[in-house]
Amino acid sequence: MAIQTILVINRSGGLVYQRDFLPSAAKLTSNEYLILAGTLQGVVAIASQIAPKSLQISAKQGAKTGSELGDATQTVPYVGSLGSSAASAADLGSFLGPDFFNESFTSWNTKGLKHVTTDQNSLFLYQTLTGLKFVAVSTQNTTNAMAVSIAENLLRKAYCLYADYVMKNPFYEPEMPIRCELFDKKLGELVAQL
Amino acid sequence: MSSSTNNTPVPSTSSKKSLKVFSDDIWKNKTAKINAELFTLTYGSIVSQLCTDYERDFAKVNNQLYSMGYNIGVRLIEDFLARTALPRCDSLARTSEVITICAFKVFLNVTPQVGNWSSNKDSFSLFLEENPLSEFVELPMDAAKELWYSNILCGVLKGALEMVQMDCDVWFVNDVLKGDQTTELRIKLNRVLKDEIPAGED
Repeated sequence: MAIQTILVINRSGGLVYQRDFLPSAAKLTSNEYLILAGTLQGVVAIASQIAPKSLQISAKQGAKTGSELGDATQTVPYVGSLGSSAASAADLGSFLGPDFFNESFTSWNTKGLKHVTTDQNSLFLYQTLTGLKFVAVSTQNTTNAMAVSIAENLLRKAYCLYADYVMKNPFYEPEMPIRCELFDKKLGELVAQL
Repeated sequence: MSSSTNNTPVPSTSSKKSLKVFSDDIWKNKTAKINAELFTLTYGSIVSQLCTDYERDFAKVNNQLYSMGYNIGVRLIEDFLARTALPRCDSLARTSEVITICAFKVFLNVTPQVGNWSSNKDSFSLFLEENPLSEFVELPMDAAKELWYSNILCGVLKGALEMVQMDCDVWFVNDVLKGDQTTELRIKLNRVLKDEIPAGED
């Protein structure tokens, strides 16, 4: 799959970063992307409010067992050497080793919107514990469990880059649009290796 | 301290063990390292410069260190979460484990002890047996009464916990630099900011 666009949405629902990777990508104006980001924030909030009746009942009956089962199914498996080849192994910012992480991890987004499939594209959404959202749009028109976990792995790596090159930049103001060249460059490398 | 640890809520030993193994692995294999002396001395030069700038008004220095720490904390939490991807803590006891076993280990390579739980389990103390910030430090006479040398740590904890929707008060109770027996840092949870928990979580 090829990644067409990556977006970062802050905790209050504003678009702070947007980048197209394919020249063929449909051109939206920055204002339209801003509206798209706001809409996504709203859809995630609505999606987390509606759940199948069966899930609601099982959650009520045994809150403890329900959440434990939930945790088991909400684990994202680690997908091999995705987006990090030997060439980049030397430079992962403050991270060490051949890759940013090497274990499966828990998804923080348990009942919000996680992916959308359309005739031409798929959209994947990764949400952090602090409310930040990373969105990837790819050029495939089917989604399977594998594609979702690849996307979540990719977006967690984007989060690692964000933590390094955006959060550690003293001139970046929280919640404001991201204008960090290093972040741009590293994200470009990450997507290019896919 | 032995008496104070008695009223610690008993966490399941298996999860504690695995958190320790998990954190050690992250620190050892997944985190870039520098010489700790560089870090200690940089912090030392910041504090001594602040003392000069504020004309030895140590209350102001404490406040400034706290607010610097806060600004670090609200950013550092992203690094911590990206690195560990730990799930949300279901209790304050779990939070205390994650802070000591994982966060302090990954960033400072020390593991403080947890103790002095309040009876309603909303506050606890961290005992820093070794404090990398104050490695080569002796406080001058005029600073020994007022200055909390490592006050930046309180700010960092406050800022980081606030970003995961926990409104806490954090302050120093004792410091070996001031001649106390232990370095004790107290964390009190005021409330969990339920409204601000991002949509899509349980």
